[in-house]
Amino acid sequence: MRRFTLRDSIAATVLAALALAAMPWLMSDFALALTLTCLMYAGLAVSWAMFCGATNCLSLATAAFFGMGAYVTAWGIGTLAYGLGVLLGGLAAAAFAALVGAAVLHLRGAYFAVITFGLGELVRHAITYYEKAYAGTVGRVISEPPETVTIYHVVLLVSALAVVTALVVRASRLGLALRGIGSDEERARTLGVETRRAKILAFSLSAFFPGALGAAMAVRWTYIDPLSVFNPFIGFQTVLIAMVGGAHTILGPIASSVLFSVLTEYLRLQFPYLFLVILGLLLILLVLYLPGGLASLLERWRWGKSRA
Amino acid sequence: MREPLLAAQGVSVRFGGLVAVDAVDLAVHAGELVGVIGPNGAGKTTFFHALSGVLVPTSGCIVIVGDDLTGEGAHAFARHGIARTFQTPRVFKEMPAIDNVRFGLEFAGRTRSHAHDAFDEPGTILEFLGLADVAAVPAGGLTPSKQRLLEIGMALGARPRVLLLDEVAAGLTHAEVELTAQLIRRVRDELGLAVIWIEHAVRVLMDYVERVAVLHQGRKIADGDPRAVAKDAGVIEAYLGEQGEPVTEPGRKAA
Ligand SMILES: Nc1ncnc2c1ncn2[C@@H]1O[C@H](COP(=O)(O)OP(=O)(O)OP(=O)(O)O)[C@@H](O)[C@H]1O
Ligand SMILES: [Mg+2]
Repeated sequence: MRRFTLRDSIAATVLAALALAAMPWLMSDFALALTLTCLMYAGLAVSWAMFCGATNCLSLATAAFFGMGAYVTAWGIGTLAYGLGVLLGGLAAAAFAALVGAAVLHLRGAYFAVITFGLGELVRHAITYYEKAYAGTVGRVISEPPETVTIYHVVLLVSALAVVTALVVRASRLGLALRGIGSDEERARTLGVETRRAKILAFSLSAFFPGALGAAMAVRWTYIDPLSVFNPFIGFQTVLIAMVGGAHTILGPIASSVLFSVLTEYLRLQFPYLFLVILGLLLILLVLYLPGGLASLLERWRWGKSRA
Repeated sequence: MREPLLAAQGVSVRFGGLVAVDAVDLAVHAGELVGVIGPNGAGKTTFFHALSGVLVPTSGCIVIVGDDLTGEGAHAFARHGIARTFQTPRVFKEMPAIDNVRFGLEFAGRTRSHAHDAFDEPGTILEFLGLADVAAVPAGGLTPSKQRLLEIGMALGARPRVLLLDEVAAGLTHAEVELTAQLIRRVRDELGLAVIWIEHAVRVLMDYVERVAVLHQGRKIADGDPRAVAKDAGVIEAYLGEQGEPVTEPGRKAA
């Protein structure tokens, strides 16, 4: 069997994105909203895995980046074009990631996870303080949000871009360096990798997408306050989706974000009181019996086929 | 005299109160194969850590082809042409063997090329080491002795000028040890590298190197022709006092 080249994978992504771009005219409003959720989580999970899957660093900073993006929109709406706000949201998150990355990326394991979680809280409190002290508000109303179709297309574009970026990074020297760092950081250094720079670069790159997605999705809420956009749940959900899918792959997190979004929606409609319990149980089972994520199922199947 | 590829000048490494490496001087030139021996805990590995930038020496400096790299990160040493193996193999377990070799080529060795350009191909390096058939196998799945060979391959992948080998023959059978020793001589001869080789199997080492340095309690107590070093009273005492493996007169296999 011929292996997929980078060009094949990018072509497949572009084709899939084009097909998805037609959905607003083919789907019901309900299905479109669900697809939008899938796309958002796919973008979040793929960009999370781009850095964390390769380096084995557990970052909980997604909520911080997402919230920053949302606040770029909240502050800019009315004066900034929607698309420009999304771009700025991404750039703000990437710049922030580069800055804090320089300070925290030498930490590993639980320390890194806790510190990145703390970042979200830090930014949330900073914005709360700023809004109260200087703007005299606790939240902001989004007036005149863009059409749903526009939001959908922008989110689709950002998530497709996240997938293409992840594909390119994986095939590049940066990707090789990140895998080396994930395996044995000091060994990678003795083979010539400037690990600090590689990690800051990749962390910052991977922060662009949650920032842009935060800015893009913020207009879906009519009212924005720090507590709702710096929602740690978004960060946890992203990590879970990526890990259940298989964080060292790209297809895994995509598949798992579809699964998650659909399952959550279905369970919420069928079992409005129990759905979180059921979801939690499913998660535990998956982690227990499929530690390599959904992607490992595919690998096992391929392996079986290649031996047969 | 030619400029040495690597020169350690008065290198000391302290761990709290313990002086693991004590004011060691060592200079090696292109094409030299230098053995380093010494009892357990003599400071050999720690000395390598200092030479490869893994550890910053407490005092002294390390000059690589005229550039003082003391205090720089390990990646700077690697880019200057210092490549090393680790006493316990530290291969990238999840990566195929071939990517382990490619790794150094992509980073440390990017701006250099080997004297033999065949060695610029990861596949050739694996073949040279007899690992061609496991190129696609994740390195973690190889036997320990193959992982040791792969460590050498990773270092060669970095297109080094100086190769630091830390007990690459440990745990190998006698035949494998001989094979590894011949391999080391061949890379030195064909690529013109400077090689510093730490080994516990003193006798084999003495047969293959032209010069040997002895570390004892962090200090370099001898440095020179293996036959002369083997007769050195201080060296004999260091070995007899510590572990009882006498340094016997090596039967010169290669000149
Ligand atoms: N990271 C460290 N912290 C504290 N002490 C250390 C550290 N690394 C090594 N040492 C001590 O430094 C001394 C030298 O150790 P080193 O590993 O360099 O010896 P060695 O000559 O390589 O020994 P061996 O032949 O057993 O490999 C030993 O006493 C060791 O316990
Ligand atoms: Mg040692």
